[in-house]
Formats: sequence, C-alpha cells, structure tokens
Amino acid sequence: MKGVTTYIYRDFIRWIRYRVGVISSLVLPAAWLLFVGLALPVTFTGNYLDFITPGILVMTILTAGISSGSLLMFDKILGFLNKFLAMPVPRESILISKILFISIRGLIQATIILILAVLIGATMMNPLQYGLVYLILFLFGVFISAFSTTVALYLDDHDSFAAFTAMVTMPLFFTSSALMPYSSMPDWLSAIAHVNPLSFAIDAIRDVGTGSVPVVPILLLLVFTAVVVVLAGYVFRKVTV
Amino acid sequence: MTAILTEGLTKNFGELCAVNGLDLSIDKEIFGLLGPNGSGKTTSVLMLTTLLTQTKGSASICGHDTRLEPEKVRDCISYVPQDMAVDTNLTGRENMLIFAWLYGIPNPKDKVDELLAVMELSDRADDLAKTYSGGMRRRLELAEALVHEPEVIFLDEPTIGLDVAARRNIWTHIKKMTKKGMTIFMTTHYMDEADQYCDRVGIISRGKIAALGSPSVLKAHLMKDVITVTIEGDYSPVQLDGTVFVGQSDDAISFTVENGREALPLLADVLKQAGNRVKAMSLREPSLDDVFLQSVGKQEEPKGFEEFKFHMMLHHRGH
Repeated sequence: MKGVTTYIYRDFIRWIRYRVGVISSLVLPAAWLLFVGLALPVTFTGNYLDFITPGILVMTILTAGISSGSLLMFDKILGFLNKFLAMPVPRESILISKILFISIRGLIQATIILILAVLIGATMMNPLQYGLVYLILFLFGVFISAFSTTVALYLDDHDSFAAFTAMVTMPLFFTSSALMPYSSMPDWLSAIAHVNPLSFAIDAIRDVGTGSVPVVPILLLLVFTAVVVVLAGYVFRKVTV
Repeated sequence: MTAILTEGLTKNFGELCAVNGLDLSIDKEIFGLLGPNGSGKTTSVLMLTTLLTQTKGSASICGHDTRLEPEKVRDCISYVPQDMAVDTNLTGRENMLIFAWLYGIPNPKDKVDELLAVMELSDRADDLAKTYSGGMRRRLELAEALVHEPEVIFLDEPTIGLDVAARRNIWTHIKKMTKKGMTIFMTTHYMDEADQYCDRVGIISRGKIAALGSPSVLKAHLMKDVITVTIEGDYSPVQLDGTVFVGQSDDAISFTVENGREALPLLADVLKQAGNRVKAMSLREPSLDDVFLQSVGKQEEPKGFEEFKFHMMLHHRGH
C-alpha cells in the first residue's frame, strides 16, 4: 500500500510540475463544453447542456485514460521501471498506482467540468447523484486506463502507441451517444452507439440525472472493469518476468 | 555467506545464447564485468537483479536464490541501470524521499539528509534535478541506491558519459562503499578504470568468461612488455621466437615479449620481410586493455549489438 501511494505521489508531482499539461487537460474539455454545449443550435432536447455534460465528462475520462499507457511506457523506456522492479515493493503496485493515478486525475478534471456546467446553466444535482456520477466515472476511468496500459505493454514503442490512441479516441466519441440521443441518429450509427462502451457510461450518468439509480449498468461496468484489470495484471506480470 | 554466487548461469534468447554457463563467486569487493557490446554483460546483471529469469543454472544473492526468493534478493540489493533515471522535474531531495518511502525505512527524512551529505549534494538538495550535472545525477542515483543499506549494489556503466573529474569523484564514493563491507558488481567499458579500481575483473566474451582475476594477476599472465605496432594496410601474420601475438584493434597490432628492448628491432625486421608497412612501434608495460584484447580477440562489429537488442525486444514483446 505504501508502494502504491508513493508511486501515485511521484506521478502527481510530475504532472503538476508540467504546467502546460495541466492547463491543456483542463482547457480542452471546457472548450468542448462551451462550444458544443452553448453554440450548437440543437433542438432535440430541452436543456442541451444537461444532455451534453455527461458526454463531455466521459470524453474527458476517455482522453485522460487512453494516454495512461504512455506513463508506464516512459518509465520503461527511461529506465525507471527496471529500478522499481528490482525493489522489494510488490511489483503489482506499479501497475495499480498508474491506473489509480490516471483515474483520480480524470476525476479532478471532471470536477472542473461539473462546476463549469452548473455555472453556464446546467441543472444542479443532489449530493447522492453527484456521488453516483463520480462512481461511474471512476469505474470507467479504471476500465480505460487498465485497457490503455495493457495495449502499451504490448506495443512497446511510443509512436505506435500514439497512433493507437489517436485512432481510438475520436471514432469512439463520435459513435457514442455523447452528442445526440439514439432517436436522432441514423440507424447505422444508432446500432454502433448501442454497443459502444462510451455510450454505456454516458447513458448511466444521464439516468442518474433523471433521478433513477442505474444499478444494472453500474454492476456491468464493475464486471467489465474487473476483467480488464485482471487482464492488465496478467500482461504486466508476463512482460516483467 | 557469499554475496553473489552463480553456477552455470545461462540465458538463451531463442537461438542466441546471451550468457553461457556463468560461474562466479563474489564477496565484499569491487567486481568489474568487462566485455564488448552484446557480450552478455547487461543480461547477466538483469538475471542477478531478478529482472530476467535464466534458462539454466542458478544464482544466489546473500544466500537467497534469485528464482525461488526474488523478494528477499531485492531486499538486499540495489540496481542502478545505465540510463540515468532521475526524475528531472523533482528536486534531489524529492527523488530521494520516494526511494526512502518505497523501501519503507524508518526516519526517511534523516536518512535522506545523511546520504545527500555523503554524496555532497546537500547544498543543491532542493533544486530540481534537471539543473544537475551528469555527475551530480549519478551521485543522486548512488544515494538512492544506498537508502536501505543494501549488501550488494549492481552498477551498470556507472561512469558512462561523465567527464574525468566526475568519473574520479564517482569512484571515490564507490570505494567508500566497499569499506563498509558492501559488494559492488559493475559493468564497464573503461579498462583504465577497471584496472585502477576493481579488486577483480571478469572479461566476458560471447556469453562466456574468458578471463577472471585481479587486474595485476591477469596482466602478469601476459609477458613483461607489450609492443604495439601501427601498420598501414592489411596485416600479414609473422612468427618470431619469444614474441606472442596478442590481438589487433583497428590498425594497431600488439605482441607481448619477455624483453622488449631486444625484441623491438627483430620484430621490425620480420614485419618488413612479411610485407607489412610499419608506421610506428611502441614499447610499454601491459595494461588491462591487452588482457582484454587477448581474451576477446578482434572487437566485435556493432552488428552483433543490434541483433542482440532485437532479440531482447522480441523477448520483451512476449514472443
């Protein structure tokens, strides 16, 4: 446990010292919220901000989480990983700390968006609802960063990994239910959106917004996340024999 | 108990045998593993530090088998790879504290202060490591490696890329560590450093130990004097009683002889007769370079290194 918190501390300090990175990670989702949420002349929902905010939240976690693999990759390229692996700290704590750090960092970004959304006219929710939103975002963050780390461990060089993240992020976002309801989508898009893991998290957050508790989606998300984490652990152990 | 003990330690990467039957027994000394690129130095270190599993044979550190009790091995070693892995956006003190916390030592702050002082980094401890010189970064890494008072320290090319003053400084610190009873296992390319500072060296070539012993003993195995001949064009081999061919690196050919002064003119004649165009000849005492040249033979081409890296890469991809 000491290992996990120390590794998280290290990544956190490194992140906040890299100021451009901090600013860009906060500006990008805010820009989406403002430009898409306020500027698009949308007529299919009452309060489009309420509709778009869950989409932007999940997109933020996605972009933050998908690049998480590069953290472990750079530790490996720069020689840190070998140092850490030669220490008595349980090796898995390296992997766990990366996944947790990325998820927590995603939640910090999500908080900024939630505040901004309310400031520009989204409906305020009650504390329980916010708690559920955070739970869903956290599970989704763990899911994405574990997935990304697994891919990074396989790909082994940074250029391929950057190409992979670029290829995955935008298509996933545009084929999800982030921007429009299923009823407004063409049939082909609706079919894709229904199986897109992003829509899954977005729809769950929208359910929370309407006042219901999406027990089944949360449980399913929990199962998917557990599967990917176990997979990441397996690949990590294989790569670090 | 012997600090490092290996028996027939072997590592294959597919067809390539990177390390072939390593038998070593190292205790409370500075041991230098020397060898050309791709000869198996780093692979040996990775196996001893539990970062790589051997194909055959066994290794134990402080009595703990590297395969059966890797956690106990990691408890009593430190490993400093050659990459200079220091978090440059953290201060020296922060870098150190992370290691102190990871090792879970009591009073991390005091220990960090103490080691920063030992490594002469106290006055710069709160500056970001990116403002440090290469020598300071290396000393910071050594300080990190000492945090849990390990019994064995593995150093991969500890002085690579440093200037002369920084190299000497690093060596002074390494010497100090052995005085406290630590065992240092290091790899290096610098023969002069190994000659000067290592208690014993092992010369590894194509995965096998080609020479093992203290630098002075190894040098004594060669004859008294070394004659180095610089030639133009290809070398046509010559035979002369009392001289032994050591090896060739680039256009310099070395021989050992019992009495250099007498052999010098004779050798010059024989070389000329064989059709060699001699540019210069020099006479000197044997150095570790000569031992290295004799054990390893002609320096391997860089190609061998790429191939080795390629195999390592395949391995890491899990093929």
